[in-house]
Amino acid sequence: MLTFFALVMIFPFIYMVATSLKIPADTFRYPPRILPRDPITIAVEGFKDPLPLYYVEIQGQKQEYALAKSNIKVGQYADPGNPTITAERRLTEVKPTGGAMNQKTATINGKEEKLFDVEVDGKTIPMYLASQTTVGEFIDPKNPSSKVYQNVRLSTPVENLSSHPENYTNVVALQGIDRALTNTALVTILVVLGQLATSIVGGYAFARLKFPGRDSVFIFYLGTIMIPFVMLIVPLYQLMVLIGWTDRLAALIVPWMFTAYGTFLMRQHFITFPKEIEEAALLDGASRLQILTKIIVPASVPALATQATFTFLYAWNSFLWPLVIINVGNEKNHVLTLALNVLRGRASDSPNLILAGAAIAILPPLVVFILGQRFFVESVASSGVKG
Amino acid sequence: MTEIPNQSNKNPARQNEFILRLLSLWRGLFSVLAASGAIAPWLGIFPNLRLWQGLLLTTTLGLASIFSAIAAAEIIKRRHKGRTISLFIDYLGLVACILIILQVGGVFIGIDALAEVFGRSILFLLAAFVGYLISAAGDYFESRSTTQKILRQVGKWIVLIGMVLFLLTANIFQGLLAIINKLANPMGITAIVSLIIFGLALWGMWREPTASALKAKTNHEQMLNGWLFLSPNLLGFLIFFAGPLLLSFYFSFTDSDAFNTPKWVGVENYAKILNITIKPLAAPDQLAREALDIQVYDEVGRIKFGNGGILFGAEDKLFWLALRNTLVYALFAVPLSVIPALLLSNILNSKLPGMKFFRAVYFIPSIAAIVGISLVWQWLYNATIGYINYFITIGVEFWNNLFNTGLIDPKINWVSDEKTALLAIIIIAAWQTMGFNTVLFLAGLQNIPGELYEAATVDGAGPWDKFWRITLPMLAPTTFYVVSTTTIQAMQVFEQVFILMNPPEGPNNSTITLVLYLYRSGFQNFKQGYASALAWVLFIVIFGLTLIQFQNQRKNSLYE
Amino acid sequence: MNRKIWKLINLLVLAALALAACGAPATEAPAAEAPAQPAATEAPAQAVATEAPAQPAADVPLRWRTRPDNKEEIAVYTQISQDLDSSLEGITLAYEPGGTEGANYQDQLKTEVAAGTAPDVFWIPGTDVADFATRGLILNIAPLAAKTEGFDAQAFYSGPMYHLTYNPEGAKSGADSGALWGLPRDVSTFALYLNLDLINEAGAPDPRELAKEGKWDWNAFLDVAQKTRALGSDIYGYGASAWWGPYGVWLNASGGGFYNADRTACALNTAESLQGLEFQRALYQDYDVATPYGEDPEPPFRAGKVAMFQNGRWATPGVRTVPFNWDVVELPTGPNGTPGNWLFWGAYVINAKTAHPEEAWKLVQALTTAETQGKVAALGANIPSRVSQEALDAFLTFTPPANNQAFLSGITEAAKPTAEGPLWAGSWPEYDKIMGPAIQAVLTGGKTVEDFGATICDEANKVFTK
Repeated sequence: MLTFFALVMIFPFIYMVATSLKIPADTFRYPPRILPRDPITIAVEGFKDPLPLYYVEIQGQKQEYALAKSNIKVGQYADPGNPTITAERRLTEVKPTGGAMNQKTATINGKEEKLFDVEVDGKTIPMYLASQTTVGEFIDPKNPSSKVYQNVRLSTPVENLSSHPENYTNVVALQGIDRALTNTALVTILVVLGQLATSIVGGYAFARLKFPGRDSVFIFYLGTIMIPFVMLIVPLYQLMVLIGWTDRLAALIVPWMFTAYGTFLMRQHFITFPKEIEEAALLDGASRLQILTKIIVPASVPALATQATFTFLYAWNSFLWPLVIINVGNEKNHVLTLALNVLRGRASDSPNLILAGAAIAILPPLVVFILGQRFFVESVASSGVKG
Repeated sequence: MTEIPNQSNKNPARQNEFILRLLSLWRGLFSVLAASGAIAPWLGIFPNLRLWQGLLLTTTLGLASIFSAIAAAEIIKRRHKGRTISLFIDYLGLVACILIILQVGGVFIGIDALAEVFGRSILFLLAAFVGYLISAAGDYFESRSTTQKILRQVGKWIVLIGMVLFLLTANIFQGLLAIINKLANPMGITAIVSLIIFGLALWGMWREPTASALKAKTNHEQMLNGWLFLSPNLLGFLIFFAGPLLLSFYFSFTDSDAFNTPKWVGVENYAKILNITIKPLAAPDQLAREALDIQVYDEVGRIKFGNGGILFGAEDKLFWLALRNTLVYALFAVPLSVIPALLLSNILNSKLPGMKFFRAVYFIPSIAAIVGISLVWQWLYNATIGYINYFITIGVEFWNNLFNTGLIDPKINWVSDEKTALLAIIIIAAWQTMGFNTVLFLAGLQNIPGELYEAATVDGAGPWDKFWRITLPMLAPTTFYVVSTTTIQAMQVFEQVFILMNPPEGPNNSTITLVLYLYRSGFQNFKQGYASALAWVLFIVIFGLTLIQFQNQRKNSLYE
Repeated sequence: MNRKIWKLINLLVLAALALAACGAPATEAPAAEAPAQPAATEAPAQAVATEAPAQPAADVPLRWRTRPDNKEEIAVYTQISQDLDSSLEGITLAYEPGGTEGANYQDQLKTEVAAGTAPDVFWIPGTDVADFATRGLILNIAPLAAKTEGFDAQAFYSGPMYHLTYNPEGAKSGADSGALWGLPRDVSTFALYLNLDLINEAGAPDPRELAKEGKWDWNAFLDVAQKTRALGSDIYGYGASAWWGPYGVWLNASGGGFYNADRTACALNTAESLQGLEFQRALYQDYDVATPYGEDPEPPFRAGKVAMFQNGRWATPGVRTVPFNWDVVELPTGPNGTPGNWLFWGAYVINAKTAHPEEAWKLVQALTTAETQGKVAALGANIPSRVSQEALDAFLTFTPPANNQAFLSGITEAAKPTAEGPLWAGSWPEYDKIMGPAIQAVLTGGKTVEDFGATICDEANKVFTK
């Protein structure tokens, strides 16, 4: 039960990675398959290009034949006198009854139909064209004279398992995903570092230093935690226009370095730190900054990691703000989410490329997560405890 | 430092006196300078200055001037207040100078350039990080000191080499030259000179002798330290959060459109958003134009009963549709991601092996980028070749074969059918947030004392009783936290809809959400004033919902 | 002591990041001092400046953008940009493809114009010209054009030029209106891209033959669609994207349309419009021959699962890569006696905030010369917007598809195409946002045609300024 559920949870990721390794035709296949496969072609004597191989059934046996010619029009001919007598012939094989200029007709179900001479069991019967379709000519690669005719679309191609990691290089070339990746990394690293720095010192001031105005500022901070980001999107956009940061990575970094929530978390953590140690250090002549960097921060690595984790995910995955502030044409400054947004339109016919792009965006945090799995989950858990 | 301390090195007391005098002089000078700066905008010196910029400048400099004058007087009287004010003003001036230098020097904008080379230099940064890890690994060999030492040494060297290479590949010298180049103009030089002056003034005021001369006490030090520590956070918060928030409030009363100067329109925006009408219907299918003033209102929806009904009309139909969709979304997405998480956490809380693995697996979706996730689901949802419909087909066939029934394969057009579009979004949300919530619940469960369960076992309670009587009430704070954060998030749904739906509003506006509508108003129709008003309405809705949950939680905990 | 070293390293990292941040301003700086650069603002052109290493007589850098509909089209315009870059004196060009997502392209542009970061020259669809012009986002180039020798607005199709010379002040259009908003990049029209393999397999009549015989009407269309749909549950007879173009065709072809004749009121509720909509609804709902409305039909068409795919000439570069036999045919004739096709167009316009209007105007002219248009047309993306028999004759040779005539048939006078056009008397984006979802509701079965007709104009008429 749990395993099944886990499979459901993880299936989209499996699908993503598998599809990103396929060729486009394989991605449009129905019914869908997980593993990527390629059709096989074979060189046949007398043909310039290699021919695709298909399975054909001959006397109940499955054999591999090569498709030599497709789109051969065949008709289903029927006897106007006795509709049970039918024959399947190529359109080019039959001749109009009475000659092309003076073709005879017969009335079937109130509709006039042209008649053709069709040879059935050695006899020539004038028949009408009841329906028409196309078939392909399949030949035995070893013995090209052995031929089979059947519908091409419904034939099963011979395929082998294969993967196309070049999809990843293609999507990088198409959409500059590599640049987007480094941009995202840069933005994320700077935002995480900035937030940690400002919220550590801010949290420490709130937790440990008594000064007039502190509590009212703290309450002010608390009150803003619930305010969603979209509240700020319009004025922040205009602020960026004013100081010339539109279409600049700085707009993705600097405004996000300051966080009320992070400061709050830090404060909650620092307040549990034993006061005695600090006072002893003060008596030894240590400055506040020394106490903070040498004693408190090293002891708070788990809490810092929690916050770094949240910030990392938020910065890595954010979309709305980059969408507003970064030019769609300036691919040099795209972050991954933006690149994906453009990619989905440009490569709408190639899910393999889109999903390769998605994989590039999703896998780095995933790898980080798998490496530090235990720590990661626990750090998230610890953030909710006091809530 | 400079010649000031050197001048009267022989007599510390006289030297101190001299510095104090200099400082009070500086305060007076600054006061005059700031005052003239405050007046300047109104003398027509800066023709390009807009009204609000002028006001801002005058207010800031005017206040600075007044406080500076007070500080000068206080310093002369040797009171500590003078020192506090001085430090505040000089510190703010220093920060302002740094910001101006960074902005004029193109450091902020230059981040783009850093990104240019970041691709190749990041490898060296990684190398430096590996070096750090190696060095840190030394701590594990506490017992073997030689190994520890070697590891630390090796790590240090790798870090150093990595850093140097990183700096070189990141074009450090070019960068330095560029800054100097850009700062070589009147603005840049003024900023640098002011920076030095402010810095000296700060140093002069901060130093021990000045402090004692002005009778500084421990609580004074603590206050200064407190504000100093808080300042980076507070300043950034004011500039990028509180300021814009106020601006947003102001915009919401204007017709701001990002191109022209905003005009004050009073509550017009809010009035338009909230203008609704409810009318009875003479017949269930009566046309909207017969029941309401179609010049003002559009039909949002109707409830039919008997041979009549109620018609709901609004001036801004899309807002109300967005509100409805968002609430429906939250109504389903929140329980669907909270209740399974609650049950799951109870299962995973057992000490069976492998639970950690499952916990990790369930957690994975919540760390992936929503944009990426949505692209994956887009193909899963594809009506013709997608896996979801394929699984449904298999399921239906299996069921039909098993029970010999004639169920018809529904072949759902997930994202293009207005009945299922929102559902598709809800499923993704449930899938994505469940794991995260599970982990939060697990943390909550681990805080429940085991004795409670033991006592209940003694009393003969079954597992079900325990769940209802102990687990649920004890988890209440966690539940409140989970439910309220999930709700707040759900009310802001945007990415999934934007990526998955084409157009994002979905078939017949069935997936237009509040944030999507806000984005559309503000950045497609450029009614930024209107969008700001929408933002405040959204905030009030979220605030109200959280308040209700909070009341509920308090009431429940009273009963326990 | 160990700590101290770490502190040092941390400081180094921070300093490094800050300093490295200025790595490229170094290369940017000389360009910023170029005389052409406006001193007041950080001009949008700066991003380009990094690419052009400092030269004494610096070229004027211009950025331009059009919306590519697929990756093949990006290659076409990149090529054009490179060619023009070497032929235009004193101008350095940078082409940036925009996003491809429907209306998003224009919205993003507006955000960027407001922010001052939009390209100097950009393409916008014909429908959006009024919105951009009345908001003051694009430059009125009439004064520049008046000074330009040899410039002749008559050389372009009159439909687009009517709107491109429309002056909202005085509601006048024409060469002497005092307004010129841009020049048309190209014109285009719908055709049906045919998967011949599917049509043959289904034994359906060849639409190209029917068209030649004059029998290609709605019934014949439906017949082919139904026969191909019968091939399998994953095979569709017809596919069209979900925007105003494809559904508008059916309304036009039955004699209806979006607006009344002088474009000042909604006409979606006329009997003719509703007749067209009803037929289209039946295609989706009753006959079930079409790919689900709202799902992109291009992937299944390219995968060989759609027999007739309605799209413009712009889809050709992409379709050229498909692995099956294909061609195009004109749209079927409707009850009105015409196929109801559109004359699509879009125009290169100049950013109102550009620092180099003169050079931008040069670029606009260069982008719309017969030569450039010939190149674009040869690469398959579109039809030249200049009226000239030579251009049309040349267009016919740009195969595949073999039946290029199908596109030209769509824009001849005889076919009475409706020129895509902006709403000068109201807001097209808002009109579109009201009409689109309502039509989608009808086509996906959420609303009846009757309900649609009874209410749509009540809502849609509000976007017209009284």
